[in-house]
Amino acid sequence: MSAVISLSGAGKLFGGRRVLENVSAEIGASEFVSILGPSGCGKSTLLRLIAGLVPFEEGHIRFNGADVTAPSADMGFVFQTSNLLPWLNVRDNLLLGVDLDPAAKRPDAAALADLVETLGLTGFEDSHPHQLSGGMRHRVAIGQALARGPQVLLMDEPFGALDALTRDRLNMELLRIWQRDRKTVVLVTHSIAEAVLLSDRVLVMSERPGTIVEDVRIDLPRPRDPSVTRENPAFGDYVVRLSKLMGVA
Amino acid sequence: MTRAPFGRDAAISAGFFFALGLAWEFGVRWSGVASYLLPPPSAILGELWQSRSPILAQSLVTLTEVFWGFLIAVALGVPIAALIHFSRTAKRTVYPLFVALQSIPKIGLAPLIVVWFGYGLASKLMMAFLFAFFPIIIATLGGLASTPAHLEEHFRALRATPMQGFWRLRVPAALPSFLDGCKVAMPLAVIGAVVGEFVGSNDGLGNLILTASGSGHTTLTFAALIAVTVLSLLLFYGVAYWERFIWWRAA
Repeated sequence: MSAVISLSGAGKLFGGRRVLENVSAEIGASEFVSILGPSGCGKSTLLRLIAGLVPFEEGHIRFNGADVTAPSADMGFVFQTSNLLPWLNVRDNLLLGVDLDPAAKRPDAAALADLVETLGLTGFEDSHPHQLSGGMRHRVAIGQALARGPQVLLMDEPFGALDALTRDRLNMELLRIWQRDRKTVVLVTHSIAEAVLLSDRVLVMSERPGTIVEDVRIDLPRPRDPSVTRENPAFGDYVVRLSKLMGVA
Repeated sequence: MTRAPFGRDAAISAGFFFALGLAWEFGVRWSGVASYLLPPPSAILGELWQSRSPILAQSLVTLTEVFWGFLIAVALGVPIAALIHFSRTAKRTVYPLFVALQSIPKIGLAPLIVVWFGYGLASKLMMAFLFAFFPIIIATLGGLASTPAHLEEHFRALRATPMQGFWRLRVPAALPSFLDGCKVAMPLAVIGAVVGEFVGSNDGLGNLILTASGSGHTTLTFAALIAVTVLSLLLFYGVAYWERFIWWRAA
């Protein structure tokens, strides 16, 4: 398995304050990798480094072998807030990334309808964000990133602001979407259970300055389902092990 | 918020104003106040009807002045606000200049404006423009600065060009604030035009108010005042109408 994203000795300072230190990792094609860490450890910053949104001083980050210097059309970023444009309807929000970027491939009508259906947004194409629930807005945000047909999906605590029930449901849908087309996903989260449930691997980060202290492989059977996977005794073992690494147990 | 049915609200308002009118009417009649000081509403309404054609003609003059003054204020104010927003140099030079100019009482400028631009349309248009200009600049600046940082980052992640970021993010995000500025500026433009007419003019509603009161024709003064008020209200609602196209202000 060749690395799609590779980090070697990446480090970042914000105004003389060290945020990230010597971060090295390899992320392979079709892998679902979570970056797990305490609040303020720099995990969101790390994701922005990978996305080419934030410049960094030390080390290298490569995407498909090339140094990351700016955002790529082959990466989709899903932010913590759904970031929809209130003046665009669902369809135009889904296609925003395609409309803005001439390098992006525009999905045809059938592909768009398929995406809308996958996201459970059928019948809401002409609705505006303020007419949608929080969970639906996040689904549109994921759809916007997917519509560009990216190779990699970068997600920054995408469901962090949602209630537990909605979050569970969206995690299930995320699993379903991922199991369908197996994109490489890098998910930043501070929820241990979410990381175990979704990931092939969990990269555990230390307190600031953040660095990867452990790379934990999650060998739970797929396809996964929140209600089934959580009953698996191995699930609990992983949660305990990661909790210890995070210093919360 | 629960809302009473529209019809009931309107009936209450209409009833209140009707009662107020009645109190005025009979207060004037019974107290014996001279009608050249305070005419009863019935006389004012009669005057409005009788002098409808000069009032309409003068309203049209004032409307023309306000319309062009406001339009030029928008046409110049918006690009200047954009310049101030994007250029640090403009922020240090143009912006303080306008703040200083704004601090000059514009009513005091009116005689000078009339000297410079004459008794016709140009001086009144200029006055309307001066009154409307600053609120439009301030509101547009506020609007342009109100783009949420997380949306700007989002646009960078989507590889939007700076031009796309301006037209597809900043401009729509600035529209609600810009429209608020227009709602403030429009009645001010009416005041500006009327002040200009007071200071030096041959026509317009301000001129009518001045000449009518000068000749002791108080009912016509009141009628012209009502015409100015109605004009200002209509123009305000003409601006406010566009709010329905930017429903996202609440979102």
